[in-house]
Amino acid sequence: MNKELEHKFVTELETNQNIVHKVCSLYTSDKDAHKDLFQEITIQLWKAYPKFRGESKFSTWMYRVALNTAITLYRKSKRRVTTQNYDSVIFKIKADEYDPTEEQQLKLMYDAIRELGDIDKALVFLYLEEKNYSEISETLGITEVNARVKMNRIKTKLRTILNP
Amino acid sequence: MTDGLDLLKKDWQRKGEELPQLSYDELYKMIWKKSSSMVKWIFYISIIEFVFWALLNLLSYDKDSLAMEKEWHIFEFSTVLTIINYVVLVFFIYMFYKNYKQIEVTDSASKLMKSILRVKRTVTQYVWFNIAIFCVSLGMFLYGSLRFGKESVQIQEAASNAGNETLFWIMVVGTIIIVITAIVILIWLFYRLLYGILLNRLRANYRELKKLEI
Repeated sequence: MNKELEHKFVTELETNQNIVHKVCSLYTSDKDAHKDLFQEITIQLWKAYPKFRGESKFSTWMYRVALNTAITLYRKSKRRVTTQNYDSVIFKIKADEYDPTEEQQLKLMYDAIRELGDIDKALVFLYLEEKNYSEISETLGITEVNARVKMNRIKTKLRTILNP
Repeated sequence: MTDGLDLLKKDWQRKGEELPQLSYDELYKMIWKKSSSMVKWIFYISIIEFVFWALLNLLSYDKDSLAMEKEWHIFEFSTVLTIINYVVLVFFIYMFYKNYKQIEVTDSASKLMKSILRVKRTVTQYVWFNIAIFCVSLGMFLYGSLRFGKESVQIQEAASNAGNETLFWIMVVGTIIIVITAIVILIWLFYRLLYGILLNRLRANYRELKKLEI
């Protein structure tokens, strides 16, 4: 691995690190686990980087490796119990002006997302990142139709939480 | 009223500013850290299994056992078994290597999981093959020792003296079957536990994805 490649990679990673942080926040529930997963994703990205030919955007490629690491490769430590009092950044509410209704709604939705399974979380994540269904289907390895059906179910579920 | 989901999306987009930011140097250091991924674990466990079973089967053999085998008239059978063992070992190592190489973190989630499970399946098949060989060898040696061993005459005499020779042999075979079953169950439990801990989440996620395929 030459210096040039290292430099190119780290620079790209630095610019796009938000994606990795978001994935980590979604899949872990405390700071140590977040750091752990971030590191593992970084290692996996770097290992796969020599094969990255630039046929897709760096960020697109990153989504896939980051999610695969979070869902499949990363082993959660069993000792870590989900602490409810710790709120990772991603679940902190950032409504524009203080609006009790909005804040309440967001809180309910973030709570619901936190309870979702690994695969559903990935779907919601890609949806919130405004990926289209063809990209979602390619990332997860399911058909576009099924991705759409599943996402609609999750959306309905989230809406029901807001308007019971 | 704005849709709750639009609100969520807007809030999500704004998260960027709040996320931690690592510096170039911190990131640079990170890329040289050791991975502790599932694939690595599977790889190590597989290597241990290959070495363990290969040693058990191939190194327990010495000059004495050669002489004994000839005496017991099981030499030919045992040689065939050893050759099969070598051929199958090479085949499994090749399959393992081939499947392992197919694991790509850049594949889709579903394909990646499938590749990992395939590697695991190859190794499990190898273990079962070894257990089968182990049982056959055990049967072979017991047969040899009871028919041609030093004490075989006494044993057979004792059996006929006891009056009921058939019952004696049924008991011998029964005991052997019970012992083998116990060993196999123990090994099976061990692997269930090992891979259970390692692969539970992966299997659950894979099932979830497969459910979406229907």
